[in-house]
Amino acid sequence: MARTTLGERLYRILLRFYPGEFRDDYGREMLLAFRERSSHDRGAGAVLRLWAQLLADSIVRAPGEHLDVLRQDVRYAVRSLRRAPLFTLTAVATLALGVGANTAIFSVVHAVALRPLPYEAADRLVRVWERNEALSITGFAVSLPNFVSWRDRAQTIELAGWRSGSVTLRSTSEPVRVPSVVISPDYFSLVGATPLAGRAFVALDAEPNAERVALIRDSLWRSYFGGDHRAIGSTVTIGTTTHTVVGVIAEDSAPLAAEFYMPLRVDPAAEQRDNHIASVIGRVKPGYTYAQAQQEMESIAKQLEAEFPQSNKGWGIEMSTVYDWLVPEATRRALFVLLGAVCCVLLIACANVANLMLARAASRKREIAVRMAIGAARRRLVRQVLTEGLILALVGGAAGILVAYWSVPLLRQWLPDNLPRADETTVNGAVLLFSLSVCVVTGIAFAILPALAGSRGELIGAIKDGTRGTSSGGTRSRQALAAAQVALATMLLVGAGLLVQSLQRLQRVPLGFEPVNITTAMMGLPQDRFKEPGSAWEGFYKQLLDRLGSAPGVDAVALSSGAPFGGGNTGMPIKAVGESNIRDASLQTDWRMVSPDYFRAMRIPLLRGRYFAPSGGGEKDTLIVSATMARRMWGEADPIGRQILAGPNGKYTVVGVVGDVRNLDLSLTPAPTMYLSTTRFIWPTMTIIIRGDERTQAAELLRRTVRAMDPQLAVFNVREMTDLIDQSAAQPRLNASLIALFAVMAAVLAALGIYGVLAYLVSQRSQEIGIRMALGASRPAVLRLFLVRGVWLAAGGLVAGVLGSIAVSRWIGSLLFDVRARDPWTIAAAVGVVAVVALLASYIPARRATKVDPLIALRAE
Amino acid sequence: MTRDIDGEIQALLPLAPAFLHILIALGEGERHGYSIMQDVAERTAGRVKMSPGTLYGSIKRMLAEGLIEELTTGTAGADERRRFYRISKFGRRVAVAEADRLKSLLAQARESGLVPKRS
Repeated sequence: MARTTLGERLYRILLRFYPGEFRDDYGREMLLAFRERSSHDRGAGAVLRLWAQLLADSIVRAPGEHLDVLRQDVRYAVRSLRRAPLFTLTAVATLALGVGANTAIFSVVHAVALRPLPYEAADRLVRVWERNEALSITGFAVSLPNFVSWRDRAQTIELAGWRSGSVTLRSTSEPVRVPSVVISPDYFSLVGATPLAGRAFVALDAEPNAERVALIRDSLWRSYFGGDHRAIGSTVTIGTTTHTVVGVIAEDSAPLAAEFYMPLRVDPAAEQRDNHIASVIGRVKPGYTYAQAQQEMESIAKQLEAEFPQSNKGWGIEMSTVYDWLVPEATRRALFVLLGAVCCVLLIACANVANLMLARAASRKREIAVRMAIGAARRRLVRQVLTEGLILALVGGAAGILVAYWSVPLLRQWLPDNLPRADETTVNGAVLLFSLSVCVVTGIAFAILPALAGSRGELIGAIKDGTRGTSSGGTRSRQALAAAQVALATMLLVGAGLLVQSLQRLQRVPLGFEPVNITTAMMGLPQDRFKEPGSAWEGFYKQLLDRLGSAPGVDAVALSSGAPFGGGNTGMPIKAVGESNIRDASLQTDWRMVSPDYFRAMRIPLLRGRYFAPSGGGEKDTLIVSATMARRMWGEADPIGRQILAGPNGKYTVVGVVGDVRNLDLSLTPAPTMYLSTTRFIWPTMTIIIRGDERTQAAELLRRTVRAMDPQLAVFNVREMTDLIDQSAAQPRLNASLIALFAVMAAVLAALGIYGVLAYLVSQRSQEIGIRMALGASRPAVLRLFLVRGVWLAAGGLVAGVLGSIAVSRWIGSLLFDVRARDPWTIAAAVGVVAVVALLASYIPARRATKVDPLIALRAE
Repeated sequence: MTRDIDGEIQALLPLAPAFLHILIALGEGERHGYSIMQDVAERTAGRVKMSPGTLYGSIKRMLAEGLIEELTTGTAGADERRRFYRISKFGRRVAVAEADRLKSLLAQARESGLVPKRS
């Protein structure tokens, strides 16, 4: 061989751009041609021309050759898939299920957790709360004087505050009750929201003597003002004050969901520093980090604690990003567990398709061996199987995306109302990109094993003996795949079992009241009704309750500052007067204002003492406490007649003890709770509770009665108590039902996997079976042989599945209520179910083995 | 089961210039790759110099279309490491058809006065 010149070495590198097959075929020839041409073409111009051509070859020709090879592979794969329609259909359907379920769940994960928030530089937006570790209060409302101090002192962060509430708007049309906020004027510039129409607030709007202005959200603009541009500049009446609407705020431009905005006017002299009523949002200023802002806020809280020990002792701050506030970590964790589960289903589907392909590779052994013998490169055979896999994955994936398109709208209806941002769940570009990558990865994942197994064939043996070309390697891969399926299915069944039990326990949890036949609704009275103490009760609500109570079908009616599961909570630290278990410490206690009939309407049992008296006079300083509160304060001693200190309003005497009630969430143990009488305390907005049978028509009755008493008043948020409770269990129910669905899919797919492996074994060993039977083996013995084989196959998977369940128990544990993640009974039950499924899946091929006719089987030899 | 040979030929036309050059080069007998390259260069007075990539890319495709054939054994005396190609019967018919096509094209060009008529 001639010595290699630099040019030749360079050309060898350029040749590497061509596909392997092409190089194998023509590489040497091309090199020879190059050598001869470069020895003839002398002179700078000719050499330059030659190298320009060679370079163009590698840039244009070589990719063309690659495409050509790909085209051939695809054509070959499509042809061979069309020749095996049953195989192709099964594989595509299996993948469609797997990819479809993944796409659907991912679309929810994307909408809720992954999609960026629609606010300008949203990662710098934070929420700030107050906290008091000594009282174990976290995420608490901020007092307005503290907010003002924070805002004045902070250098690293801009702050805006608000107070939520609701108002009854009166304009030209019927009065309407809407959620409202009074908010710092700079809130809108802080979150980066510009009004759709009109203007946002300016600092002047918050001046004491400024004209009263308001902003409305576009939903209210459309529903109440008919989307009319003349709404801007028009006036609305709230109570006795008139506000001018100055602008419209877009639906999603700000994290706060109020419909009606008024500027927050803070008069620090008139506010109390220990009255925690406001919410605070902030934006970390450019040039500072979240940690710096947090540090500064903490040090400001320390300064305030030193300056105002009376009100601020023990109070610090707590910060979180707006994202963490809107999409709580628990929600994200639940979604990722779902995604993990659905990925398991996809893995099982992949294992099934891999098994199908392995079986196919085994039956095509002869074809493959012949092709190798006539010179097909191994690399090409591997690539062809991978191409087949990718085509299956893409077709299956396309079908899966159709499945997702069809199931996402269903899923969206099924999602809990309190799942943030879930109503925007769609199959969008990001989701499609995810599905496409899933398809490519799965295609390679399930084709790699068959590709390698298929090309490794013992060449001679396969050609000589096509019918019995068994490959122990292929069989072992198939058994490993089936075992992996069993393992994943076991894990999913354990997860489903745990979540279903958890849901059942959650739904069976004692509520402390009887929710059936209760309707709740909210309403508010204008300010002027509260001028005289007790006037709201004596002058309005008492009459309203009396009228409602006498309606047909009504069993009991009551008033409360908040019904259970109605959202929101009110609590305060209280102290005991005289001897108590808590001594000088405070007990953080939830409180509610309730009317005398509240406990009867809710069917909360009286344990000791008495209820509030129906006529208000005697209940000025009386208190009814929950069993938990009584126990925490005074242990087993009789609490009746004992006294507590609460807030600035002084001393209260306990007159009754009632049962504990779950007010907030099914999974939370009832907190210490105390009840104050509405004859003394009433809020501007109260909840009406009506217990009555189907004759009541509570919503209509309430509206009619209220309208008759005062046509200016609005009733809103009419809900059935059972719906409120259902809603509170919506997320656990979704988790449980989806994972149960995935577990069933997994079990069916795993059963198909076991069935496939055993059926293949039986067909491979029919001659052996024939010999055994000819030598006297009984049919039951043959049946047993294959059943045992199937059970062994499953056993490995079961062990791996149990270990896997234990390994992931940490993740699922946080989703469970009252069930341990490693509950041995649940694990045992899942193992039992999978074992039975495996046995059934083995039975069909095992039985077929017993049908082998020794004569026919042997004649085939 | 008759092959529609004319249809197959028509489907290949117009022939890529590289294909036609190669067919012409092989018209006189079998050649190896570099010899084809050289022949084309000579016939075109050095204007057409095929790159190895163009040459072997075309050869691969022409083999697949059945326009040329690879000789299983090299011609006696020739460098046995070389691979030789010759035009197939089908290739010859395609070359003729392409030449006819070009001829009629030329005639049309003359007809329209675009190209001067032969004297």
